[in-house]
Order: sequence, then C-alpha cells, then structure tokens
Amino acid sequence: MTSELVAARRRRVLDAMSERGVDALVLGRQDNVGYSTGMARLWTSGTRPFGAGCVLIAETQRTHLLSSWDAGIPEHVPFDDLYPITWNPEIMASSMAAIGGLSTARRIGVDTCSPGFIRAAARFSPGAQIVPCDDLMASVRAVKLVEEIELVRSACRVVWSGVEAVLSRSDAPTPIGNALAAMTALGATIPSSEPVVRHEGDTTVVDLGAMVGLYEGGVGGRFVDGRREHAPALVDACRDGATHEDLAQSSTGPWLVRGLGMGYETPMIDAQRGQDLTLMTGMVLSVTDGDHRDVVAVTSSEPDVLSTPPYPAGRLVGSGA
Amino acid sequence: MSADDHLTYDVGRMRRERLSRLRHHMAAQDVVATVLLHEPHVAYASGHVGPAVDSTHAVYQRPVAIIGQEGPVHLFADHPSSDLAAEIHPSVFPELDESIAGLVEGIGMATGTRSVGRLAIDEVTGAMLRSGLLDGFDLVDAGRVLGPARLVKTEDELACIDRAQRINEVAMEEVRTACLPGVRRSELAGMFISRVRQLGVDNVLIDPIFQPMPRNLSDGPRTSTGHVAFPTGVGDPLFNEEDLVWVDTGIGVEGYASDYGRTWVVGRDPSSAEQDLFRRWSAVMEASLATIGPGVTLAEVGRAAIGANRGTIPWLPHFYLAHGLGVESAEMPMIGTDLGERFDEQFVLEPGMVLVLEPVVWEDGVGGYRAEEVVAITDTGWRPLGGWPDYLPFKS
Repeated sequence: MTSELVAARRRRVLDAMSERGVDALVLGRQDNVGYSTGMARLWTSGTRPFGAGCVLIAETQRTHLLSSWDAGIPEHVPFDDLYPITWNPEIMASSMAAIGGLSTARRIGVDTCSPGFIRAAARFSPGAQIVPCDDLMASVRAVKLVEEIELVRSACRVVWSGVEAVLSRSDAPTPIGNALAAMTALGATIPSSEPVVRHEGDTTVVDLGAMVGLYEGGVGGRFVDGRREHAPALVDACRDGATHEDLAQSSTGPWLVRGLGMGYETPMIDAQRGQDLTLMTGMVLSVTDGDHRDVVAVTSSEPDVLSTPPYPAGRLVGSGA
Repeated sequence: MSADDHLTYDVGRMRRERLSRLRHHMAAQDVVATVLLHEPHVAYASGHVGPAVDSTHAVYQRPVAIIGQEGPVHLFADHPSSDLAAEIHPSVFPELDESIAGLVEGIGMATGTRSVGRLAIDEVTGAMLRSGLLDGFDLVDAGRVLGPARLVKTEDELACIDRAQRINEVAMEEVRTACLPGVRRSELAGMFISRVRQLGVDNVLIDPIFQPMPRNLSDGPRTSTGHVAFPTGVGDPLFNEEDLVWVDTGIGVEGYASDYGRTWVVGRDPSSAEQDLFRRWSAVMEASLATIGPGVTLAEVGRAAIGANRGTIPWLPHFYLAHGLGVESAEMPMIGTDLGERFDEQFVLEPGMVLVLEPVVWEDGVGGYRAEEVVAITDTGWRPLGGWPDYLPFKS
C-alpha cells in the first residue's frame, strides 16, 4: 500500500465531507479508520465496541488518531495529533475537546456510535448535530482506485495458497488448519471469512478468505481432481449497470454479490436484499453462487476476475507442480 | 499438563444463569428492553457464538439479540446452534436501511410494542440514526446492565475460561520451541493457528503477537506515557538470537476468551540480567497473589505489586496490572488503569471475579519481562484458571 494510495483515499473522504457539509468525521469502524488514514490496528476478531478510532476535521484537514504510540502511524499524522487509548470516558472526552475544530463543529459525522458517545458529544461539542455518515464512507469506498484493485488481486493469490494446501493433502485431519498455515507462510495471518472445507464424494468444497495488508482476498469452489468447476453465469453478469433482476436471473443457487475491498463492504445484494441497487464500473465484488466464489472488478466491458488461479491454465490445483 | 485436564461445564445451565443475571440488572435499572449488536454481548445473552472472522464480516453478518423483561430472548441469526433456548428469527442487518423494519418488529416483540421507556443498546448504527426508530426511548449503553451481570462468573463460565486457557497454553508451549533465529512472526502464528485447530478450537480471537521488544525505552516507538509500546501489531518481524520477545495470544471456547502471555528468548538461555528481571517479575506476582482475595480492594493489590517492585509501577501505564476475562479478553475488574486511584479504592473483589495478572518489570538497558496468569477469586482467596505452565527457559 503506497502513501499515494493512502493520500488519495483520505482526499476522497475529505471531499465527501465537504460535499455533505460535515465539519468533523468520527470513525469507529476499524476498516473506515484504515481507509481514511492507512493505519493498521492490531487485529482482533469480530465486532468491536464503538470507540472514536479517528477524527477528521474539515477546517484543518487534519487526521487525529487513537493511539498511544507512533508505531504503525502513517507519516502524515504527527505525534501531537494522536490521542491515547484510555479506559476513562472523561479522559476520552478531554481528548476530543482538545481536537482543534471538533468543539466548534456544527455537524459531526459518525459511521456508527453509541448512547454514551451521543451524550459525551453533547458536552465536548455543544450544539453539534450527530449525522450518520456510514453511507458517506460506503459510497466513497464502493468504487475502487486502481491500486486497490491490484491489492485485492494479490490478496486473492495468497488465498489460492490455502486452497492448494487443502487439495494437496486431501486426507489431512485438519485441512482448514493447513489452509490457514499456508496463507500465514505468505505473511497473511488474518482470516477474513469463516473458512469452509467439505468433502462430498470425489468433490472437495473450499471457501477461504484472508486479509492481506488491509485488503481482502477470497475464493471458493467445488474441486474434482484439482480442477475447479466452471464459474457460474453470475460472475460474468457483474457488469456496469447490472440490476438486481439481472443478477437474480443469472444465479443458479443461493447467491450473494457484495462489496469487497478492506473487508466486507456494501453493496450487499442477494435474493432478498438490494432490490434497487445497480452495479458500477470500479466496484469490486465477492460473487457467490452456490459453492462457487470469485472476486471481480466491474469494468465497462466484461468483469475482471481478480481471483483467477495464479497458475498456468491447465495446471491442477494441489498438484504442487 | 494437558488440555483435556479441564473442569466440566453445563452450557444450558450457564445460559440460563447468565440471562437471569442480565434480567436482574435490567429490572433494577428499569430497562424495558436490551438490544445487542456486539458479538460478545449477543453470546452472553443468547448463547450464540459466531465464527472468529474479520470485524467487517462480523458487522454485516452479525446476530442481534433483543431481550425484554420477560419472555424468550429474541435472536436474529442465520444457522444458530440448535440447542439455544432463544426464539430464533431470520437475520436482520442493522447496517442496512431496508432492514430497519425488522428491528422495529423485534423491539416490539420484546417490549410488548411499547416504544417508550429506557432501552439499553450497545451500538447505534447509521441506519438506526436515519430511521429514528429509537427516538421515543431513553437510550443507555448496554454496558450498564451487561457490565454488572458479567462481573461475577458462574462456575460454568469459569470452566470455559479454564478450558480455553489450557488449550491456548498447550499450543503456545509447542510454538515456543520453534521461536528460533531466522524465524518470522507469521510462521509462529501459522503454527499456533493450526495447532489450536488440531486441539479442537476454531476461534483465534487475536492476530497472534510475537513482538521483539527494545532494550531501552528510547529505542522504541514514541509513546504518550513514556513507557514501552505494546502490543503494536506492526509488521512481520524476523527474530534474532539477541531478541527478547513478548508473546500474547487468545482463543475462544463457548465464547470465552483465554489470554496467554509470556516473554521468550530466541534459541538461547536468558542472560543473567534477563533472569534477574524474571525474578523481580515473580516477586511482583507473589506479592499480588498474596493480597488477592474476597473483600480486598483493587488498590490494595496494586500497592502490593508496587511494593514488590521497589516502589515503581510494575505494569504498562496505558494498560493495567490486571484485567478481567470472560466473553471479552479485557473486561472489568481492571487494576491500575487511568480510571484512577479512587476507582481502585472503591472496587472490592468478590468470589467469582476473574483477574488476568500481567505485571511488567522493566530495566532500561536490559529490557522487560511480561507474562500473564489467570485467577478466579474464591470464598477464601483465589485459584488458578488454566494450567500455569512454567516460564521456560526462565527459571525460578
């Protein structure tokens, strides 16, 4: 991830704040913090309780980050713009009050929040209106920059090493453990989704995902003798302008088309949800139909499949050759 | 010591007792309904434990639990385990505007369609803010009812923590022998993750930490406290023979977290100066443990630890001397945090509370020793949770 990419993402967020008249943006979701700042916090699984992970200020264009140290902090954030981790809500409120431009903000955007935050904000930013900005972040993130697409493509390559590990040792007692270990050998120690390995007769069903440098990779499918069954029509249907109806008609099994980038993102389209949504060029999507999953980038013509196996065509997965 | 050498637990009884505690605190605080989106909270109230996935996946696939003052827990989740006592409903997606009607219905089921009164909730999503669905309620943080409920563990909860801790220990004691010069953090993480799976546990709750530590505070990252930065979770370091490595891992059993911490050297024996650090750490542990028991304040434990460390605080000032452990890996009670002296003076330990002691002793030029051990407060003192393996290659 280059500093140019981080700067470009931050610029997009600040521009979106300006368009919506948001004076300060308080982000609690770690993926939104990572998008806006480039910071990678120590990964813990599952949901996190809400806390102000970063604060962006429109007036000063500065980024204030929750951290007690400068390790892992992007260069554009000076030490003085860090506020420390704390167990004490009063200390957190003081940290917020000390951020230039927050106490005078009229509109504070949040990606999510809690009753405690709403109460605290009424004190450190009296008179400010709390504005939901989860949709602001979602729309900024939906269309990917070129470098982001390449980061997802290389994350998918890492995930293939997990598939390879499963198929090369079909009798292993803990194939998922082997898959995860194979991905860690490429530095990817964080699984994104719940790993699936299942045997159905001669068929091995695999679905794996990993976070690699803040971007997600994933792939899934039904494998017989090292060959993955053909991609379903749904993958090819992910084109600019495709509607819910287009996707539904192309699907053959239970299906899900959802945003993929710095993890699970919007749009979220399946049989029940996303009736009004339309795909756009630049979206990156995880496309599941039955047991098959590919990751694609929507382009102005046919989709760019980012989860193509990183091997020569015809090579059997798991053969190690 | 084996991972199978564990206490037994009754999951059904554990769920019933937890719900009854939660409802007790709801009634005491006049809370008409509790709406839970945070996974450990949902697990506590409903028994539903999801897979350990990235937070973004957890958010978009999360179960939601809604609890009224009486009646069943309403759990909105796909494929929950079949033995839950909760009433199961299809998933709702609190992130999506189109799903808000389902949430309104759920809250109605729990409150008997009242839309006034005090509602405890742990997260208010953007879609909730836009919809105004919570507008009639007096909102309070769900921690106000969950916090006191979770503070004192049942015997079954303690057994789950004990089991998680033992499995974690077995896996890490094996990984330790692989921490050699030229090995990367990611290799050790891979060994740990696959070993834990072999031991029958799927949920690794934290990206495994194997962090080489500086020998001098001035060599490390700049910090707000002036002490050392840990855990930074940065990069994929390659270990050298001279490294002193702080390790920290955690897994989940029935939703209960373990917390394993040790200091490792890399393919050598500790130097005598490092061994001295460990002795001082042991003295801090002994002094803390000698103080811990029912009726004791957190401040008394903190003072005992400081007394055994020549008057200096033997813990990381951005953290604590000790923290609780349960459905989250750091919860109340916490000793020595920035909540301040007054908090520690007023907080009295009770039987059933859990503490993870994690003293840190530091000698600039030598470095630091850090390890963690878990205790449960008993009627007369404390007992260990987990097997408390040796601190090899450090020796008492």
